Amino acid sequence: MFAHSSLILVGHGSTVNPDSSTPTHLHADAIRQMGIFKEVACAFWKEEPSLREVLHMLSGDDVYIVPNFISEGYFTQKIIPRELELTGPVTHRQGRVLKYCEPVGNHPGITELLLRRAQEVAPGVPSGETSLIIVAHGTGLNDNSAAAAKREVQRIRALGVYAEVLNAFMEEPPYIAQWDQLASSPSVVVVPFFISDGLHSFQDIPVLLGVENERSVAASRMDVFRQNPYHLRGRTLYYGNSIGTEPQFAQLLLDQVRRFDQEHPRAYSSGLSMAADLSL
Amino acid sequence: MKDSILEALSTWLAAGRNRFGELIIKGTELCHYHDRDREDLELFTKPEAARLIATLDDADQYRPLKSAPNLRHGWKLVLKDLQEVKLALDFFYPAMLGTLLAWEQQRLAATNFRDTVARQSGMYAVTKHISNAQADELIGEFCRHDTKCLKRILWQIDTERPITTLAHQKFLPPAGPHGLGLLEPEEIPLICCEACNLLVAAARRVVKVSGE
Repeated sequence: MFAHSSLILVGHGSTVNPDSSTPTHLHADAIRQMGIFKEVACAFWKEEPSLREVLHMLSGDDVYIVPNFISEGYFTQKIIPRELELTGPVTHRQGRVLKYCEPVGNHPGITELLLRRAQEVAPGVPSGETSLIIVAHGTGLNDNSAAAAKREVQRIRALGVYAEVLNAFMEEPPYIAQWDQLASSPSVVVVPFFISDGLHSFQDIPVLLGVENERSVAASRMDVFRQNPYHLRGRTLYYGNSIGTEPQFAQLLLDQVRRFDQEHPRAYSSGLSMAADLSL
Repeated sequence: MKDSILEALSTWLAAGRNRFGELIIKGTELCHYHDRDREDLELFTKPEAARLIATLDDADQYRPLKSAPNLRHGWKLVLKDLQEVKLALDFFYPAMLGTLLAWEQQRLAATNFRDTVARQSGMYAVTKHISNAQADELIGEFCRHDTKCLKRILWQIDTERPITTLAHQKFLPPAGPHGLGLLEPEEIPLICCEACNLLVAAARRVVKVSGE
């Protein structure tokens, strides 16, 4: 179905952290190896190929663009459309159709992945006696930044699996640094709602939680996740990897393409598909 | 299925062009140009290994700019076919093959520095206040061919102002099917059609410092 199509996964990337783009690349590798698309590429805001360059490396008749971002916000609504010169969900340019899909963080399957990650982090710990905290960035710059994390907390809370399910943020209240005051259960599981294990999940949040004393330079050598559980502030604390490192994420990214086609069934690419449709 | 970039790569290689950035391409084998006669190289066989090789320099420091002249030494990548070579080359120097083909086919549009900074927002919006003289000086240092970046620049400061602070190796002959013939016979050039985000971030620092 996508044999004439190209796929771009768009990540943030980093000029200082070599791990930042890794999950986006690994998901692209996984999808490329499925052989569904003519070609699969990544593009980044802070790494190469840039959003300005990436279209040159693709030759498909149409190009699906899936932001590997947790939330709808500044990057998905402003930066990516501006840099790729998109005019909407469907952009026609030089004989090609650019199809701008929703960010992976909007996929309903995220909820299940968060639950699974929480259970992997604290195996055998009774969830009915555990507080689950979903920690996200949060920012005053964009109201949408925290919205996805709040939505996921509501969904998981509604399942009634955990004693309580809470939001916490790095840069807006409720602050993750106060995790022990926010959570009331003896066991606390913290899952970072981020795309990659970068500065925030490896360095910043461990310091805010109190499991590390200061930011470490060698981010990729940190083994904060292997020291679970932490006995801290009178609680048993379990800290997990960022949710975006979950291999199942590739399926969600792929599913954003299918969802796009369901919502935009007439976003034609080549003359062939249009002719086929007109003959119906 | 037709892959015009793969066909172009095949044509360039057949014409004897086998230097791509700091790489040398020998059939379906890649290594650092300086390592071309070494026999003690660590062997890799998957195109994805190119991404790992390109991530850290010889001192294990992160390479945020893939076209910086600090590619790691000591490895050899032996691949299965030209399709895998293309994928690996796109990990070493992302999008550069397709950009070159677009240039050869005279469909590559460059964006001048003023236009790049004019569209910035958020923390980079201040970059539009950089003066022409500051921009010329910054680019002359930040994009130096010998120590900073191997790409050849297609853009100017604005339509009236070329960059005056870089050596001639930083620029390209006129685009077109004969353009490549004016370069070194082995070179597959890396092309910069717009200021990168690293340069925009550097422009921000210039504006911030001059404003203090």
